[in-house]
Amino acid sequence: MRIRFFAALRERMGARADRSVRAGTTVGALWRTLVDERPEIGKVPVRFAVNGTYVERSHRLADGDEVAIFPPVSGGA
Amino acid sequence: MFRVGRATIVVERLLRAVRDPRAGAVVVFVGTTRNENAGRRVVRLEYEAYARMAVSEMRGLAAEARRRWPLRKIAMAHRIGLVPVGQASVGIAVSAGHRGEAFAACHWLIDRLKEIVPIWKREHFRGGRVWIGPQQGGPGAPRPIRRRAARRAPASKRT
Repeated sequence: MRIRFFAALRERMGARADRSVRAGTTVGALWRTLVDERPEIGKVPVRFAVNGTYVERSHRLADGDEVAIFPPVSGGA
Repeated sequence: MFRVGRATIVVERLLRAVRDPRAGAVVVFVGTTRNENAGRRVVRLEYEAYARMAVSEMRGLAAEARRRWPLRKIAMAHRIGLVPVGQASVGIAVSAGHRGEAFAACHWLIDRLKEIVPIWKREHFRGGRVWIGPQQGGPGAPRPIRRRAARRAPASKRT
């Protein structure tokens, strides 16, 4: 599973990571695995996208998905 | 035209992208980097994007705007990387038959862009830098500033 991080989360986790997860694992479960490894990131509010589309925590992952995890957005001027 | 990149935002290019003989109005919004935020003197801003998704979210917003208003054309551009104070970081142009819908759609598009398009802003000021939004700053960073708490994504889109 390819994972991408952005902004403050990228600075803590690096831009990319790879984790093997079983097909059908939820995005929320993947996030809990990452938080278990690095508890301090659990305090950051995050949103999830799979293959470039926003998803909820209950979204089930498939082989080859690209998961993006990032803090609330803050674009614009 | 939907673009996320390091190039300077050129208003003339946005205007060209929405030119349409059926349009009676073109509204352009240009967001520029301000020299202060929350009482702090800002020297420059830095933007990071999940570029592929940012462009697809922009397209999605444009499609939704077209469902809400009778519009002709829409162009959106957001700059990433370092942007000096006073320069444009975002530009949106909308053409429509009449000015009412062009103004309304342009206003709605910039509000929604700030809510959902995956772009992040980091403020650089004398003595430090900080990501904007409810993110954790690094060690020693000042407390992140929450900007305009009213402008939030709908509950269904948040986690």
